[in-house]
Amino acid sequence: MTASPSLLQVSPSDAELVRRVRQGDLDAYGPLMTRYRLRFGRYAYHLLGNESDAEEALQDAFTLAYRSLDRCRHPERFAAWLFRILVNRCRTTGARRGREQARRAPLEAADGIGVHHPSEEAMRREELARGLGRLVPEQREAFLLKYVEELSYEEMAELTGAGESALKMRVKRACERLRDLLSDTDAS
Amino acid sequence: MHPDDRSDEPRDPFIERLAAQLREPVSLSPEVERVVLDRLRARPTQRRWPAVAAGLAAGIAAAFAAGLLVGRWTAAPPAGGSSVRPVEFALRTPADSAVVVVGDFNDWNPAATPLHRASDGVWSVTVPLRPGRYRYTFIVDGTRWRRDPAAPPALEDDFGAPTSVITIAQR
Repeated sequence: MTASPSLLQVSPSDAELVRRVRQGDLDAYGPLMTRYRLRFGRYAYHLLGNESDAEEALQDAFTLAYRSLDRCRHPERFAAWLFRILVNRCRTTGARRGREQARRAPLEAADGIGVHHPSEEAMRREELARGLGRLVPEQREAFLLKYVEELSYEEMAELTGAGESALKMRVKRACERLRDLLSDTDAS
Repeated sequence: MHPDDRSDEPRDPFIERLAAQLREPVSLSPEVERVVLDRLRARPTQRRWPAVAAGLAAGIAAAFAAGLLVGRWTAAPPAGGSSVRPVEFALRTPADSAVVVVGDFNDWNPAATPLHRASDGVWSVTVPLRPGRYRYTFIVDGTRWRRDPAAPPALEDDFGAPTSVITIAQR
């Protein structure tokens, strides 16, 4: 996974913060979490389908990462390591709860529009969330990694353990399914 | 993203529009960090590895002999002086579809470490582990978390779900 240029320029670096945390400075972990909460939270939010589960998955991933920090072999690549933990955490969240079918589709619009008269934008968000929710989990995961997180297939394979051919097929199927589900409402 | 990665795929304007919407920021509570820090302060990481593995294994073996446990793990001596030790995770369960183990050693990846069922009904897998402390749990049939009855529960109840802990001692 490639860190964005803006994240490469921040100071102190991830590696420096990881070093401080390893030395016992728990407060140094706060900036690390803040740095990746929204960026990685977006993935969890779209994969799990709601704010509450996304925040819980994030909390768990941050906690797991902290407790396993001694095993982060390349602190300068903390972001990629953390994201791997989050991706796996999102998978086990689904497994743990077995509630993929009960996935809550409606998403609260970021602009706070009320439920009685949702804006056109909010309705599009909701339709898109419903469409994502109807993908099988593997396809939803592959689609988000490819098109939203913009990973290469090589990176996706490393992250998920699946073969590149299988991932391409999952993305292809996801696109076809989303087109079938959403083309009537066109998300333009 | 690798610029050429999708060069062999037709660009689909419809899908690109969906993706653009999904790339927009989402609103998540800044309380996430506070909750995690509170959790970590309440239950600090046990970074020192207590030399209890041998005693623990003996206790578990005794419990097995007494028929008290339905799961097991064993840590065999390292081969060739390597610090990596093969550790067997096992669970007796009537599940007939799938059992996996997830934990600190595989980044909690449910696809990484499936167990295999023997004729005696015990599901097991052997994982090479370095000395350290690992939390883990079994996932049965893709939905149910099962703590290992042959290992102590993890003290850090981070997830409100059953997890176990195994400690491989330094040699």
